[in-house]
Amino acid sequence: MFGPDAGDPPVIGNGSDRRLLVVGLDGIPYRLIAAMTAKGVMPNLRDLVSVGCFRQMSSSIPEVSCVSWSSIITGENPGEHGIFGFTDLMPGGYGVRFPNYTSLAVPPFWERDPDRAAVIVNVPSTYPARPMNGVHIAGFVAPNLDKAVYPADLLPMLRELGYRIDVDSQLGHSSIGLFLEDLNGALEARIRVAERFWDGRAWSTFMLVFTGTDRLGHFLWDAYEDEDHPHHGAFLEHLSRVDEAIGRFVDRLGDRGAVVVLSDHGFERLHAEIAVNAVLAKHGYLRFSEGRTHLTAITGDSVAFALDPGRIYLHHERRFPRGGVSHEDVDRVTDELAALFAELKVEGQRVVRSIHRKEELYRGPLLDAAPDLVLVADEGFNLKAGFKATSIATRGPFAGKHSQPDAFLIARGAEDGAIPARPDVVDVVGIIEHMLQGG
Amino acid sequence: MSSAEHRVHNADKTCWNCPAIDLAGKVDFRACGQSTEAFEKREPAGSDGQIMAECKRRPELGVYDPMSITFADCPEWVEGPYGYMLDGMRVLILGMDGYLGWTLALKLSRLGYKVSGVDNYSRRAWLAERGGHTVVPIYRMTDRLHAASEVLGANINFRKLDIYRERDRLAGFIDEVKPEAIIHYAECPSAPYSMIDLDHAIFVQENNVLGTLGVLFTMRDLVPETSIVKLGTMGEYGAPLTGRPIFEGLFPADAVLRWDDREWSLGGELTPRDPVSFYHVSKVQDTFNVYEACKYWWLRSYDVMQGVIYGVHTDEVAADPRLRTRLDIDEWFGTVINRFVAQAVVGFPLTVYGAGEQVRAFIALEDAMECMVRLINSPPEPGQYSVVNQMSGYYSVMSLARTVARVAKEGFGIPVAIQRLENPRVEADRHPYEPIYDRLPSEFGFEPKHTLEDVVYKMLELLTRPEIKARIEEKKHLIRPSTWWSGVKKEAGTLEVLERINDA
Repeated sequence: MFGPDAGDPPVIGNGSDRRLLVVGLDGIPYRLIAAMTAKGVMPNLRDLVSVGCFRQMSSSIPEVSCVSWSSIITGENPGEHGIFGFTDLMPGGYGVRFPNYTSLAVPPFWERDPDRAAVIVNVPSTYPARPMNGVHIAGFVAPNLDKAVYPADLLPMLRELGYRIDVDSQLGHSSIGLFLEDLNGALEARIRVAERFWDGRAWSTFMLVFTGTDRLGHFLWDAYEDEDHPHHGAFLEHLSRVDEAIGRFVDRLGDRGAVVVLSDHGFERLHAEIAVNAVLAKHGYLRFSEGRTHLTAITGDSVAFALDPGRIYLHHERRFPRGGVSHEDVDRVTDELAALFAELKVEGQRVVRSIHRKEELYRGPLLDAAPDLVLVADEGFNLKAGFKATSIATRGPFAGKHSQPDAFLIARGAEDGAIPARPDVVDVVGIIEHMLQGG
Repeated sequence: MSSAEHRVHNADKTCWNCPAIDLAGKVDFRACGQSTEAFEKREPAGSDGQIMAECKRRPELGVYDPMSITFADCPEWVEGPYGYMLDGMRVLILGMDGYLGWTLALKLSRLGYKVSGVDNYSRRAWLAERGGHTVVPIYRMTDRLHAASEVLGANINFRKLDIYRERDRLAGFIDEVKPEAIIHYAECPSAPYSMIDLDHAIFVQENNVLGTLGVLFTMRDLVPETSIVKLGTMGEYGAPLTGRPIFEGLFPADAVLRWDDREWSLGGELTPRDPVSFYHVSKVQDTFNVYEACKYWWLRSYDVMQGVIYGVHTDEVAADPRLRTRLDIDEWFGTVINRFVAQAVVGFPLTVYGAGEQVRAFIALEDAMECMVRLINSPPEPGQYSVVNQMSGYYSVMSLARTVARVAKEGFGIPVAIQRLENPRVEADRHPYEPIYDRLPSEFGFEPKHTLEDVVYKMLELLTRPEIKARIEEKKHLIRPSTWWSGVKKEAGTLEVLERINDA
């Protein structure tokens, strides 16, 4: 009932005066919530789980935040909302752009009922902020805070409270100590700002996403899994701070309000990063001219290339100025590439778990903009475009990577039977609608 | 000729080079994270980050990878006589009232650039202080601007200000104009002037070094994506007695230092400078300040090591008497060829210092202006400090004197003598000299179009006009040098009247 192609976007909460709280925990897997609630690290989530529904949820494909959150807030698949990855192609050429909120082809659920005022804080891929009934502070990627805030007169207050959109991810490479300090500082500032809005604005919908959890996973997933790791305690402490904040908001909401807590994708240990373009180049499917390893320099006889994370585009003659793959060749080439990646192994391990043609994954008016093939990595492997990569597999500086099947959803105020046993991120809007209509 | 050789020199430059870019920041998508520090510090792309940009001219592009679009593919870059040019590019000329500044302002205006400029008329004041004047009469700035508009249709936005002493006003003007390239000609360009006495040495260094420093800070704060084309001089390098080549600012990639059975690459390091006056020291100090600003703040710069410039003609300055650029012949501000031509016109034996075997690099005014346009059209990358040796040939001073004498005699029937003077400077009379000047031809498509003989001929045409000849006569007493590097106060004596080569 909530899947792709369900017709026009539903009008969310129409006529409902039920307050809604949505809390996002970027990159937190189902199994972490299960473990941390059981262990007492996240007692407030444990309470929510005990009175609500708790599900493992499938992320988008690819399982990156911009695609997944765009699906969560629109209830649509990328063929409808148009966000296929952090990067995308400029129409008709080889230019690479970074799609953002202006590229989102379907309005988010909070814009659909103009009578329900909303406070929206730090939802990824909603930059630049735009006018709405309420307050909107965009989440990453948001290069300029000035354009991330609506209404703009909130900026002085945000600055005074030390608000920042993201942690400094570069710190994670130079000092884990400073990185953790920055991470917790950004979290506290985000909570302060959210509390200010909670009390100071009239709202019906309140959505707040914590994104430091994802950064923590990238740099310190090993610290989470390994209880003897020197930063294990710091990892749990951050989770505990997030849980405390959620507890305070849920308490203030009261029992009648609807609560959704969810993540956009899961996390797992990273073993190796795989440069998809290096694989294509090694097997003769991709070549560059003039020694430049940029997409704009691919040769006319290149058959395919990849954008992050594992999106493969055929160098189709009708899509690209120098493209040589004809319409008749598409099936053959697609089969060849699927076979190539199905057989790809690194140190004896299968790298790609599943390979999807665009028609299998996406439906909607923007299907033509989709990649032709999308690879989902097997456990432990992280796929990257890797235009400049000289080797197929590298260890890289990170400890964790996203996992597609293991996002989570907690809903308080919904009938258990109304929520699919294994929901997908595109189902979230439907679930919210159900809850606002009385659960 | 292959098609590659026809390729316009800047066709493959991308938005990464373009001043219309707004560098939005850097994201490491492997960790989903944007680096706020990198945004603030303007750190260049590392292996783990992706640079994001927005285009100030085409906001509809959204946020994108600046390597994506080449000048050849961008509708804002249009093909012109000197490569692709940013349509209606805003160029600010510091020192617009000077010999080069005014000439370039007119050329750029005629090519379709939106030119603005500043000057405090100090060149006019220095000449007045020394009792000199430009032998080609020039007009007040208001008249110049009016004539530029009337004759060339040029709408030049000018502000009288001192870039060093009125930094706030300069910043205000830059903020108002939002230049996409800044041409920095606003320095005192005279070695002898800096050697007159302590006050003059202090003035030149303060004006040049601190003025430039202020420009750099202002650019950091207001227009960090703008390129600065800064006038240096071949004189920064001196003339190394070892005979090693004078590279273009930085050692080439395959340069090696060998010592004590060990070897190091010198590739990319700044080459040694050996300035030959306190003025030249100020230019070397500028080089380091600009170099550091590029390193710290991701500014982008061409340091133009210009050879000694000569000539008085461009199509634009010749279009109307009110549009003429200045021509100085005195010992402080006259450059050697310009001075020789003026001397020839009034029968003042050409003054060669010492043996006259000093070799220097030269470039004609029109060629230099073309080089500047090509550099403006091909901005460096963010953070790039780049150097070009802007010259079209090199000659000994004595051979220049002979050429001027020959053209004067053959073209105008003017007999010319050459005299050797005591050399008031501290410099080698005889020395090896091997300048490298490949970059402008190979990377910017520049080919010199004006021979020494042609330019001297054109100068003689103008300078032999009675009204100009009279102005030379009036100031010819300022030609014989009296400023000694040693501090001695006396006129340089004549060692020998070498020859009267053109006597019939």
